[in-house]
Amino acid sequence: MTESRPRESREDRGPREGGRRYVSRPKFCQFCSDKNLVIDYKNVDMMTRFINETGKIRPRRQTGTCAKHQREIAKAVKNARHIALIPFEGDLWADSN
Amino acid sequence: MHQYELVFILQGDLDEATLETAVETVQTLITNAKGEIVKTERWGKRRMAYPIRKMNEGYYTFISFHHNPEEIVNLNRSLGYNEQVLRSIVVRVA
Repeated sequence: MTESRPRESREDRGPREGGRRYVSRPKFCQFCSDKNLVIDYKNVDMMTRFINETGKIRPRRQTGTCAKHQREIAKAVKNARHIALIPFEGDLWADSN
Repeated sequence: MHQYELVFILQGDLDEATLETAVETVQTLITNAKGEIVKTERWGKRRMAYPIRKMNEGYYTFISFHHNPEEIVNLNRSLGYNEQVLRSIVVRVA
């Protein structure tokens, strides 16, 4: 009679406290699915997609990229920061206008 | 010989003629050390994401070239010595 005790399934429980906020993300790595798409530190529009509004590199769970390409992105973002294409901290042109 | 690309930022407050000679100095830096320049792209004057040496604008130039790996150290050093160059980055293309 081990199974008679009602068990709480994972879905019944409420959202776990302190868990990561859920953000919907693409199911596949965009660089794996499109081989023509190259990660380029010179491409400002691409680089801004991979940083958040504080200038941090967005995590894999948000961008949906695979581990291999996320490493490349991290490198590219750092290169782009060095030549002042994207900021080290804060929004791009947050202080202008 | 490997393929590299170089992006460097010149001071934004230079006039046309000085910019021209500054770009040429960097080009000769590569060609004098037996490097081959594939192409040069001038991105022109653009606002930098953060001020460098209290300047908000910089003149961006991109150079794609073939070079000996041993010479890259010298190239980086020379770029550092050049006061008109605010920032530079040399990346090896796979």
